[in-house]
Amino acid sequence: MNLDKLLATGDRCIHKEPPTCTANCPVHLEIIDFLAEIEQGNFQNAYKLMEKKMPFHKILGRICDHPCEAPCERSKAGGSIRISDLEKAVLEYGAYKPKKVWPLPKNKGTVAVIGGGLSGLTAAVDLDKKGCVVTIYEKTNRLGGRLWDFVGDSLTEEVLLQELKAVADKKMPIHFETTVDKNKLSELLATYDAVYLGTAAWEEEIKWNPLTFQANESALFVGGSLVNQSDSVIFSASSGRRAAISIERFLSKVSLTDSREREGAFETPLHFDISGKEPLAPILKSAAIYSQDEAMAEAKRCVKCQCRKCIEGCVHLRKFEMSPDAYIRQINHSERIILGTHYANKMINSCAECGLCKEECFLNISMSDVIHETRESMVERGKMPASAHDFALKDMAFSNSSRFSLVRKQPSKEESKDLFYYPLISFSDYVKGLYKGTGKTAYLFYPGCQLPASYPDDIKSIYEYLVGHVQGDVGIYLGCCGAPADWGGQQALMQENIEAIKRVWEEMERPTFILACSSCMRIFEKYLPEIKLESLWDIYVREGLPNKDHIKTPQTLSIHDACGTRENSDLHESVRKIVAKLGYGIEELEYTKEKTKCCGYGGLVYYANREQSNAFVSERIGESENDLLVYCAMCKDLFVSGGKRTYHLLDLIYPKADGEAATRKMPTLSERHDNRSRVKQILLKEIWREEPEETMMEDQFKLIIPDDVKQKIEDRYILSEDIQAVLKNAEENNERFCNPETGEYLARLRRDNVTFWVKYEKEENDYILKSVYSHRMEIVEE
Amino acid sequence: MKHESTDQTAWRCDKCQQELELTKVKVKYMEGNFEVDLPKCPSCHQVFIDEALALGKMKEVEEGLEDK
Ligand code: SF4
Ligand code: SF4
Ligand code: SF4
Ligand SMILES: [Zn+2]
Repeated sequence: MNLDKLLATGDRCIHKEPPTCTANCPVHLEIIDFLAEIEQGNFQNAYKLMEKKMPFHKILGRICDHPCEAPCERSKAGGSIRISDLEKAVLEYGAYKPKKVWPLPKNKGTVAVIGGGLSGLTAAVDLDKKGCVVTIYEKTNRLGGRLWDFVGDSLTEEVLLQELKAVADKKMPIHFETTVDKNKLSELLATYDAVYLGTAAWEEEIKWNPLTFQANESALFVGGSLVNQSDSVIFSASSGRRAAISIERFLSKVSLTDSREREGAFETPLHFDISGKEPLAPILKSAAIYSQDEAMAEAKRCVKCQCRKCIEGCVHLRKFEMSPDAYIRQINHSERIILGTHYANKMINSCAECGLCKEECFLNISMSDVIHETRESMVERGKMPASAHDFALKDMAFSNSSRFSLVRKQPSKEESKDLFYYPLISFSDYVKGLYKGTGKTAYLFYPGCQLPASYPDDIKSIYEYLVGHVQGDVGIYLGCCGAPADWGGQQALMQENIEAIKRVWEEMERPTFILACSSCMRIFEKYLPEIKLESLWDIYVREGLPNKDHIKTPQTLSIHDACGTRENSDLHESVRKIVAKLGYGIEELEYTKEKTKCCGYGGLVYYANREQSNAFVSERIGESENDLLVYCAMCKDLFVSGGKRTYHLLDLIYPKADGEAATRKMPTLSERHDNRSRVKQILLKEIWREEPEETMMEDQFKLIIPDDVKQKIEDRYILSEDIQAVLKNAEENNERFCNPETGEYLARLRRDNVTFWVKYEKEENDYILKSVYSHRMEIVEE
Repeated sequence: MKHESTDQTAWRCDKCQQELELTKVKVKYMEGNFEVDLPKCPSCHQVFIDEALALGKMKEVEEGLEDK
């Protein structure tokens, strides 16, 4: 995995970027935190934040010209947050006695500060704190410079005197009534290690570096009104502070320029979309200073600008409390450690790889791609936990084994001769289709593995419909597209699977594939772009629906688009057309079409982290009161298990008599296997009129399974063939434990990489299951 | 991996009709090899693992090793 590329992606994420208010504040007050504290009524904590970032906060907090306010995003929805008024309120309600700071040893060097105004005093105090011996030169007889012009209602003389006294108390030598001119400056430069020039005017033009405030690469640094294009007090203070940083670096002989890009005001890369927020007007002051309640209400208007677009849409990111930038740092760490625990594994296997994050991100950052690449790398390095995807991969192997897999051309005209008689030949579209057979396979119907598992009885009907409606011969191909391998990061297996599909396609002379499963759709588009695809749903729209009169009770449905179809807007339209034609109303969900969410099956999260999968399910089904309509078997399965009334499109197109389709429980994992095998049998017998070589696996032991045990079997991904195998071994070889007190047996059998245990009781020929469990650890019995 | 189970006492090997004995047993998973005291049939060596152990401590150790 290319970790530099990974980190570069993380750096592009603007989640951690500051809001425009903080970026435009020359001293970068942490405004979101500041306002959040006020909102909570924690004025002291807010005060602490001012103290941390603002030089002379008691002065500046009262007179700051607040360049943070104009760009505030709230200005587009009611009016900027009154940050400067809130600072005044915080000074009023949150001030506490300054803590005593122990001065550092004064060993950094000597500095002369020219000018006792705001910028000079800021530089002097900062340098003094950093351990420099500072001497101040002031041309008048008092400190403060133009700060005195601000004395009034807000900044009282008392406060100003207090603050200036605090400077004097630091015992820096101050030379009052000392004018510094060109000559004097040369003298100071010769005497001191560095000089800060913070006077309002200077006799000649000085060239200075806007990043470091250094003049002519010398020991002279400038700041304050000299370098400011405006008379902004906060810029003055900021320049004094930044020059002090340069002077310290200069005296320590380290780089003056390293990582200083974001000092002073800058433009934040953050894009915050406030359009969704209700406009709220600023809270008015009932007196000169906000009351505490007013301040809290005003602070509350702050929308805490931060990009959380992808996080808001994704229950995976929220569950792990991860922003993409932080997520990527974790992946980076996990990829780099050689010894030690890979704590991020569980998280990485809990993403649905649904792609919503990329859709939501205006920078197109795709966590789906990042996480997918990580999984591939984990597999490659042998670091993928085997248990995470084992069941799904075995399921895929099953579907590609002879127990399900099948390839057939359309029955030939010759083989179908006996069907060509009246009235069949005039009334059955299917028979008409057979009659038109050419022997060349134009289409190959590929229903995938999950649809036949969930809708075994419809596959034959769909096949017959296709033969009767599309132009050209339609063959069939049963198997698994490889989605589990793809989601599990198993590239080698995936390639093998793709090659196998490609071979069939070539052998059949490159037919168009007709797909009905959204996961197949995604896989074919990703790995087999050379194969032409059509969706079954598109064909229904083009050729008309099979059953004409099945409108039951018309109702309004909300359509849940499968996440694999995110980019397939034609398909979204086809599905809606079918639903409308069937007589149902449609109410779109908030996250729909290209912004759809995952049902909780995607990315194999269903197997790797059931809790996470459940969170996907419950968030999605909570979105609407309406019954849902889906067109992916797994979406239906998960939503119904979550307790939501959900129709699959096939429920509406091929209605069945056996009860309510919207609540019909989906088959268990074992039944899914059986159903697939059954589909193969039905097709072979009824369409191709062949006697299947493979007979269905007959259960040897008759099981009685109480409901709670049934649930355990499902939750623990145990198949009935596993149970049968354990029992067979137990019964035939007596390899089991018995409990004479309860009459129960306990037996185990290792199958492949898992040991299965079955606790049971025998009654005549019935095997009553008490519990079933498994472990992967191998016990050496010797 | 410690075994804390209460319901194993009544169990015996059905094949050999022997009482189980707590014995040091080798278990392995991925790169991990341990010895654990587990109830075992002294004659055919079948090792008894109950549900609480399989789904508790064993699973925990499995997961720990998988994340190494
Ligand atoms: S809304 Fe809040 S965070 Fe956003 S710019 Fe305004 S003050 Fe800053
Ligand atoms: S792919 Fe889906 S589940 Fe994964 S991070 Fe993106 S939105 Fe979340
Ligand atoms: S949408 Fe998500 S990934 Fe994109 S910038 Fe915002 S937080 Fe980062
Ligand atoms: Zn024995």
